[in-house]
Amino acid sequence: KALDAFLLYVLLTGALQFGYCLGVGTFPFNSFLSGFISAVGSFILGVCLRIQINPQNKGEFQGISPERAFADFLFANTILHLVVINFVG
Amino acid sequence: AGPGLRLEAALSILLLLASTQALVPSHRLSARDLARLRAVLERPFTDVRAAYYSIVGLSSLGVRVADEKAACKFIKSHVDSSSVESLFYAAQSIQVLSGCEVTISNETRELLLAAVSEDSSVTQIFHAVGALSGFGLPLASQEALSALTARLSKEESVLATIQALETASYLSQQADLSSIVEEIEDLVARLDDLGGVYLQFEEGIETTALFIAAAYKLSDHVGTEPAIKEDQVIQLMNAIFSKKNFETLSEAFSVARAAGSLSQNRFHLPIIVVPDGPAAVSHHQPVLKLQVTNVMSQLLTQVSVKLDQAKSVSSKATVLQQLPFTLSGDFFELNFMNVKPASGYYDFSISVDGDKRFIANKVELKVKVSTEVGITNVDLSTVDKDQSIAPKTTRVTYPAKAKGSFTADSHQNFALSFQLIDVNSGAELIPHQTFVRLHNQKTGQEVVFVAEPDSKNVYKFELDTSERKTEFDSASGTYTLYLIIGDATLENPILWNVADVVITFPEEDAPSTVQSKNLFVPKPEIQHLFREPEKRPPTVVSNTFTALVLSPLLLLLILWFKIGANISNFSFAPSTIVFHMGHAAMLGLMYVYWTQLNMFQTLKYLAILGGITFLAGNRMLAQKAVKR
Repeated sequence: KALDAFLLYVLLTGALQFGYCLGVGTFPFNSFLSGFISAVGSFILGVCLRIQINPQNKGEFQGISPERAFADFLFANTILHLVVINFVG
Repeated sequence: AGPGLRLEAALSILLLLASTQALVPSHRLSARDLARLRAVLERPFTDVRAAYYSIVGLSSLGVRVADEKAACKFIKSHVDSSSVESLFYAAQSIQVLSGCEVTISNETRELLLAAVSEDSSVTQIFHAVGALSGFGLPLASQEALSALTARLSKEESVLATIQALETASYLSQQADLSSIVEEIEDLVARLDDLGGVYLQFEEGIETTALFIAAAYKLSDHVGTEPAIKEDQVIQLMNAIFSKKNFETLSEAFSVARAAGSLSQNRFHLPIIVVPDGPAAVSHHQPVLKLQVTNVMSQLLTQVSVKLDQAKSVSSKATVLQQLPFTLSGDFFELNFMNVKPASGYYDFSISVDGDKRFIANKVELKVKVSTEVGITNVDLSTVDKDQSIAPKTTRVTYPAKAKGSFTADSHQNFALSFQLIDVNSGAELIPHQTFVRLHNQKTGQEVVFVAEPDSKNVYKFELDTSERKTEFDSASGTYTLYLIIGDATLENPILWNVADVVITFPEEDAPSTVQSKNLFVPKPEIQHLFREPEKRPPTVVSNTFTALVLSPLLLLLILWFKIGANISNFSFAPSTIVFHMGHAAMLGLMYVYWTQLNMFQTLKYLAILGGITFLAGNRMLAQKAVKR
């Protein structure tokens, strides 16, 4: 549930960014893109983590413990945000 | 019948040749060039070689050394009896100087004779043979010849071959020199053709000039015509005499020898036809004067100069044929105006005869016939546009100016007509420049028009104010009218102030001030337009949205609190702390990256931090898993 809350947060942030862009204009476009991609990417990674952690899905993820899933989540996020920070300008 | 037939044959050959472009010498040694050449050759001697160049060079030009006794003494004191080269220079110079005797010791003779062998280079053989010949010593021609031919087959350079040619000219005619003579043809094949005008060796002009001298010397010696075609001789001449400044003595020497050869040999004598001043005749100067010289600008008067034909360039009609020039003093003269030619340019084909050896003796000359122009039937009139009133015509005679002024405005046009005739023949003329110039007295503006002839060769010019107002910038006022007549074949170009014309343009077009069309004032400055920054939303809006975007974060924290995300499992093991610190540091690094760092620095720090965090995290999660 905590994760769901997080996911909701990310979703809202992304939607707001998009709305801002629609409302005010695409300057600066690179900033908008990086922010938006960050939101989207985080959402996706969160969803992945959620899927992997969910005990009901244990059958499909035999070799991956929740801890491992979390570590993967953190690692992927790091890379994502590295690129995002690079792009935000 | 005999000479008549010969003339016909010559004519037919000339007609054949007229279709091909005959090559004419473009360079020769003018009197000034000769003086320069002599100045270089007459420098005081520095050594025997310089003495040789000067003495023999000057003698080729037909000039004797200033002080022969001093020259003789110099050579005798400076000659090096142990050097074949030095002996050669001495021997050749002594031969030229009169009254210069020298005795040759036996050792010297032995030295020279020994040098004539297959083991010496061609240059050495050349010097030895030349020295022996110069001193008047006996020489075994056959041996020398065999040594030379043997050596020549080993040395292929152009200079060696040229020296071989000259060596052969010192040998007795009894020996069979034909193999050496054949070398002339081989050398000619090695010449470079530059644009069809020049022919020279790639080694340079000095070598080319030495070749000419040696080839003709040998040919004269054996009595066979050298295998050099006429055109090639002219091209060689052009190349050699194109050099007007002689830096080294050897260069001057070679050019002098070539000049001497080409003005005095048994086979080819190039001649040059030089008109006196520009080739132009007129009524004041009806006689065309020509001079005939050889390459050294020496006048040849024992020749006969004949005009084969004179053709008009514009009409291509033959005006004159087969007329001899008469010799008067140094010049060959022909009175061309006797046939009353129309003004213009004429192509003269002239041939010079008198000696079988002449080459380049058929010359094409462009002669200009000038005349004076006269303007007749000059009528100035004002023509009413509506054709309701008859035009008023005033006749003016050159060089008077028309009395009164003429008007041109919206009702009337101004017209001018005239005829141009050749004063001497009465024929109508169409010169190149027939301009009508209108000059505004007040503003200094001038407008120039071209007067065109109609079918009857009457020149007409009409000024319509409505048509021409752009040229005048609609500036009304009094203009002086000038008539300008000019042509290359006119001796009296005309600038005639014919009349004054008052031109009035319609009022609405007149500018308030007359602007001078000055092209050289500074133009208005161009301001550079910098790139406009893009439109940004007002700061208020941006700030609002920033706050708005951050609001979900608050929402998240509230939700988490509500859901009761447990922080209770937080164990304070070192690895956990390290992990969390490392993770926080990484996030901090992201922020710093955004503000300050570049990618490379970031990656460096990230690697360090990431490594620590990973290890710590690993341990922490493992512990967690165990606990579970």
